[in-house]
Amino acid sequence: MARKHVLDGVKVLDFSHYVAGPHCTRLMAEAGADVIKVEALVGDSSRQLPVIKEGRSGYYIQHNRGKKCMALDLRSKEAQDICHELAKQSDVVIENFTPGVMKKYNMDWASLSKINPDLVMCSISCLGQEGPLSKFPGFDYIGQAYSGIMGMTGQVDGPPALSGMAFGDISTGAHAYGAIVSALYHKANGGGGQYLDMTLLDCLFSYHEMNVQVYDASGGQMVPKRSGHQHSFVAPLGLFKCGGRYLVIVAIGPQWVNLCKLLGKEEWVDDPRFADPVIRNENRDEISAAIEAWLDTIGDAEKAVKILVEDNHVPAAPVLDVPEVMEHPHMVQRGIVQTVDDPKFGKVKIPASPMKYSQFQEPLELQASSLGQHNEEILRERLNYSAEQIASLTEAGVLGSKDN
Amino acid sequence: MTQPMLEGFKVIDFTHVVAGPHATKILAEHGAEVIKIEPLGGELARLLPMQREGRSAYFIQHNVGKKTMALDISTKEGQDICHELIKTADVVVENFSPGVMKQHNLDWKTLKKINPDLIMCSISCFGQTGPLSHLPGYDWIGQSYAGIIDLLGEPGQKPVFGDIAFGDVSTGAHAFGAIVTALLHKTRGGKGQHIDISLMEVLFSYHEMGVQLYDTTGGQMLVQRSGSYHGMLAPVGIYQCKDKYLFILGVNHQWEGLSKAMGREDMFADPRFSDLTTMGQHKDEINAAIEAWLDSVGDIDRALELLRENRVPCAPILTLAEVMDHPHTKERGTVRTVSDPIFGDIRIPRTPLRFSEFPDTPNLQAGTLGQYNHEILRDQLGYSEQQIARLETDGVIASKNI
Repeated sequence: MARKHVLDGVKVLDFSHYVAGPHCTRLMAEAGADVIKVEALVGDSSRQLPVIKEGRSGYYIQHNRGKKCMALDLRSKEAQDICHELAKQSDVVIENFTPGVMKKYNMDWASLSKINPDLVMCSISCLGQEGPLSKFPGFDYIGQAYSGIMGMTGQVDGPPALSGMAFGDISTGAHAYGAIVSALYHKANGGGGQYLDMTLLDCLFSYHEMNVQVYDASGGQMVPKRSGHQHSFVAPLGLFKCGGRYLVIVAIGPQWVNLCKLLGKEEWVDDPRFADPVIRNENRDEISAAIEAWLDTIGDAEKAVKILVEDNHVPAAPVLDVPEVMEHPHMVQRGIVQTVDDPKFGKVKIPASPMKYSQFQEPLELQASSLGQHNEEILRERLNYSAEQIASLTEAGVLGSKDN
Repeated sequence: MTQPMLEGFKVIDFTHVVAGPHATKILAEHGAEVIKIEPLGGELARLLPMQREGRSAYFIQHNVGKKTMALDISTKEGQDICHELIKTADVVVENFSPGVMKQHNLDWKTLKKINPDLIMCSISCFGQTGPLSHLPGYDWIGQSYAGIIDLLGEPGQKPVFGDIAFGDVSTGAHAFGAIVTALLHKTRGGKGQHIDISLMEVLFSYHEMGVQLYDTTGGQMLVQRSGSYHGMLAPVGIYQCKDKYLFILGVNHQWEGLSKAMGREDMFADPRFSDLTTMGQHKDEINAAIEAWLDSVGDIDRALELLRENRVPCAPILTLAEVMDHPHTKERGTVRTVSDPIFGDIRIPRTPLRFSEFPDTPNLQAGTLGQYNHEILRDQLGYSEQQIARLETDGVIASKNI
């Protein structure tokens, strides 16, 4: 039978909320997996995040397309029974509550692995299932603070800058996705189920592609600090101003030679003060001054980027804002922005999935469900509940739904 | 113990610096055999700090567990070796600028003829298609084009950036996930395929809020760099307490806890601070109240304690040294130690994937330049010692203890 996508037929039971867990299950839904999202009766808190239209959240839509939604009171025995029955027939369970919450609902790994030993269960948390900080509530920014990421961003002498972006959530969702599919692969080869403990802290900390080993291997001599507009350890790598706009230049590889020629500083190519990216950093003020002087003669950031990149193959880029990104011809051609249909919003633009497969080039047409939209369908078709049973669960307040 | 999850897989790895190497490092840590092909002089990461006796700890961090070959892929002989290796490989990963693999007869069209079951993953800054695709790219180039750097820093001032690989590491993780998915697809009867992953697209997906916000408001709500505080929500931001900084988030139900912690129940009762929208409108007043409260507490540990007693999400902003020394990261093994013939013990971030069936990260080393040239040519491709010696003399392969 032809598959609609790579993960067609994989059954996922999803207790996640906000972004990290939902990004992971979004990637799974977009790859064809059958995702049932179980929310509390009041809904995932992200249903309150902007933009809100007629009670519906554009934020929620972005992270939850293609998932079938149930809304259950997980504190009730009946709801837990439903989840256990669904877990029995699922390949994957994923959750991102604060550690301990799943146990309170009898849905921790010890309980679920008894019900379904072949299950792959993935817990995502900010700081991990164990350790002194694990019990605290976590958000992306909390992880950024504890991983040394936030402390690395901002002016040298000023306060750190808040990013306003989900650096931890998106990456953790992607790492979790890879871990889950690896575990599914292992299971398909007779390896059985297992439990995955994914954290924002680990993923954010691994962004230190240079800092950790530099600090360690230099015996604490080289201390990474926030460096404002220039990289701490290698040069030239930084932000420059040109004609009222900003651009980034990265000439730490073989492109250094091209940059020297462009700046009219051919003699720097063989100058020992500029022998490698680290030595160059010690003399970076001289390099920056030459770059700035050259940029002043050009006076237009777009033009400077063109000369740097297209004519001289020196990596450089204009610093774009979100609308400029969305309208850029390259992004338009690549389909980096995806337009989705929504019953309340109409067309909504969101970032497209970064995974592009040659065998499945067209993205699946997926919508985000309203709260509890699939309560009935799932109970009837998956678990053979009768219409009366469903009605009485709804009446008892175990099930809920809402049109947003 | 069962065999590692990806044992038996052969990966031919043409990647360099971080994005590609992060993906193939995870593959290696899960038991795949990764053969990394470098140019004769070694890849760029080998020049990056820390350096000791010509060896780079940066390279070590991103390349543990890979068998290294150094060969000149612009020569016919070098290409023949690659083709022979790829014939029996499961996966090829590369992160050259688009077009380079084709120039060396190693593009998807060529390789799928040699091995129709192959999974090939191309990682690039801008993707394999589109007007920018041919340009050279680095993480920060992608961050610029994805609208990331524009959002960092004080409003109205020059943006800042972090010495951090936001794009590379996450792109490596997305690539790893896509590769393993394609492997699973193959074992379920699917064919080989080509995967196209771009840094810029991964970075763009960090806009967990900004894109739909801009779009659905018809351009009315545009996220902008907002310094230490969140540009739209309050209270969310970085606050100062004496000479230290801490992060506090007190929206939705946490607002009540924060009001209590500050002894400002009056603010919680104030209709001006009743929901996300009105609180965003009065963010200056809210942020000022928090700063004033922190001044009165005057001790970051005491402030964190009060916040936690009221279940308010908060964290001290740690320096890297503090992170590496923190009891929590120590207990979890967030920082791991690997051994190296030249550096001795060296600490790097642990790969974030933690499996109950495989709780220990394998003890792997990073290869020196061309360390496995002989072994792979001899054992996998049946080359004779004379043939190998000739390739060395002809400058097709090379090795060096770095």
